[in-house]
Amino acid sequence: MSIMSIVAKKEFRDGVRDKRALLSAFFFPLSAPLFIYFLLNAVIEMSQVDETVSVPIYGADAAPGLIAYLTEAGIEVDDRDSQTLDPQTLDDVKSQVANQTLDFALMIPEDFQDTMTSYRPPDLLIVSDSSRNDVAAQVGQLRRVLNQYNQELISLRLIARGVSPKVTIGARPISIDVASDQKRTANVLNFIPIYVLMAAFVAGLGIAIDGTAGERERKSLEPLLINPIRPIDIIFGKWFASGTFALLGMLATLVLCVVAMFALPIEEIGLSFEISTKQALALLMVSLPVPYIAASLQILLGLFAKSFKDAQSYIGILVILPMVPVIIRQFMPFVTEPWMAGIPIFAQSVLMMDVLAGSGYSFLSLGVALISGFVASALLCLVAARLLTTERMIQS
Amino acid sequence: MIEANGLKKSFGEIEAVSDVSFTAQDGRVTGLLGPNGAGKSTTLRMIYGLLKPDAGAIRINGTDVHSDPLPAKSQLGVLPDGHGLYARLTAREHLLYFGELHGLDQASREARAQSLIDQLDMSGIADRKVEGFSQGERMKVCLGRALIHSPRNVVLDEPTNGLDVASTRKVREMINRLRDEGLTVLFSSHLMHEVSRLCDDIVIINQGKVIASGTPDEIRSQGGNDQLEDAFLNLLEASI
Repeated sequence: MSIMSIVAKKEFRDGVRDKRALLSAFFFPLSAPLFIYFLLNAVIEMSQVDETVSVPIYGADAAPGLIAYLTEAGIEVDDRDSQTLDPQTLDDVKSQVANQTLDFALMIPEDFQDTMTSYRPPDLLIVSDSSRNDVAAQVGQLRRVLNQYNQELISLRLIARGVSPKVTIGARPISIDVASDQKRTANVLNFIPIYVLMAAFVAGLGIAIDGTAGERERKSLEPLLINPIRPIDIIFGKWFASGTFALLGMLATLVLCVVAMFALPIEEIGLSFEISTKQALALLMVSLPVPYIAASLQILLGLFAKSFKDAQSYIGILVILPMVPVIIRQFMPFVTEPWMAGIPIFAQSVLMMDVLAGSGYSFLSLGVALISGFVASALLCLVAARLLTTERMIQS
Repeated sequence: MIEANGLKKSFGEIEAVSDVSFTAQDGRVTGLLGPNGAGKSTTLRMIYGLLKPDAGAIRINGTDVHSDPLPAKSQLGVLPDGHGLYARLTAREHLLYFGELHGLDQASREARAQSLIDQLDMSGIADRKVEGFSQGERMKVCLGRALIHSPRNVVLDEPTNGLDVASTRKVREMINRLRDEGLTVLFSSHLMHEVSRLCDDIVIINQGKVIASGTPDEIRSQGGNDQLEDAFLNLLEASI
């Protein structure tokens, strides 16, 4: 067996036995998709309006016409039967909404009918708490129905005077959305590249640090270097073990994220999620080098640190690297250019978004990203091997 | 045989070793003796190839350590200054890992590991993870992994440092056995009584220079005292 695989095998065995590191390595990959599932599920549920919105209404008796309209529009009237809408009742309702014993309320003034017939606009009070996301959809629904009611009322009044209701419309804005369902879904899916790439940086971290800063700290590096083996074999062995660990963590995250997306009822918010065989292949291709790049970066930096803690504190920061392009894209959208495939990490982050969106990538760019990723990783390993031969490695 | 010739080594402004030459012969125990900070560890690290001398050369059985590192290193068994072990591996796994790194095939490294486990009296702990081992037990593992490839030359950096009486005795027995097998044993110590007990040849270094060398009798006459310890101190004082 080659020295590289001997070292890799030992590092792997050591890593698997390190229960605490194992837990922290795989806690993130396994928990992130679950977290995402429950979060998105809650978002979807909130954005859906129940068939019938039940609205607590005060002073319903004053406006039978309006109530009939609301009922017809599918709003369930929860009659609170208050004859007089005095300031006292208003304050009561406000405080009930504020302390959340009441979700929201519609308040109709007693003189609704009289004001109406004298062509003065009556005030319809919607008492709600705009900081509550869970009732926003219901309040919105109520508001839409009231607007419709208003429009119809205006139209009827104009028609009664022989005026076409169209005069009230200046210009009509019409939006044409060219985004496919899948593309719009990709917007929601931006979390997948972030989590998957983060997992690649997290899962192998412990084993990478243990094999570098850890070896120095426990003074086992000197006995290792005394053996008649080349430093490059030691580094590649450690790189392969840590990279493969990270790969497993990353694949677990990827698969779980995809499973979570399939399990979510996203079609209910007008989105669709599907993954073709081509996309699945592309996803694997684009993500494959990331754990190995992460491993080589962590090993190189780990050699500079004298202790495990020391290394952990600043190598952990590397985790944000793959998030940068995703965040940039959120605020400054850009189209993937061919040259971007040549920049490791950046390429993977950007291409993964494109693959999930189902457009903007080619197998050529994926291939370039794959090769440049592994080349960069190998170069970092060479630098690390060089560093390993320097005398500072064994000086404490 | 280990030959060191005109070794020099500086770290920045500090000259750790300025002139060290000696030969450690087969079938003899050579002790590198000197006070703390004399340059013993630096000298040994140059010998086992982790530090590159600024001047001078080291040969292991005729092979130059720095122009031909891998063949030279494979003839060396080293107990370095750092006694680090992998907490989650067993004692036996340590020996097997290092045997594998030395290119031993499975059958021979397993046989050799078992024979070292017997020799070092560690059958009771061989298959336990080394986490929680005592100093003496750790030293046995370190010795075992240094000897797994049956080297012809053994370098031990302060092998009894921090050990209790029983473990120290074990290490001494091991050193004697290696000599009896005809190996070259080079070890460093700052304890005169230890060196006087074990060594066939003594090399005394102070402030990076060899100030005396020879058999214990020769050292006694050079230092002008029948007591080796007094002779050593006389030589140290004379060198300053």
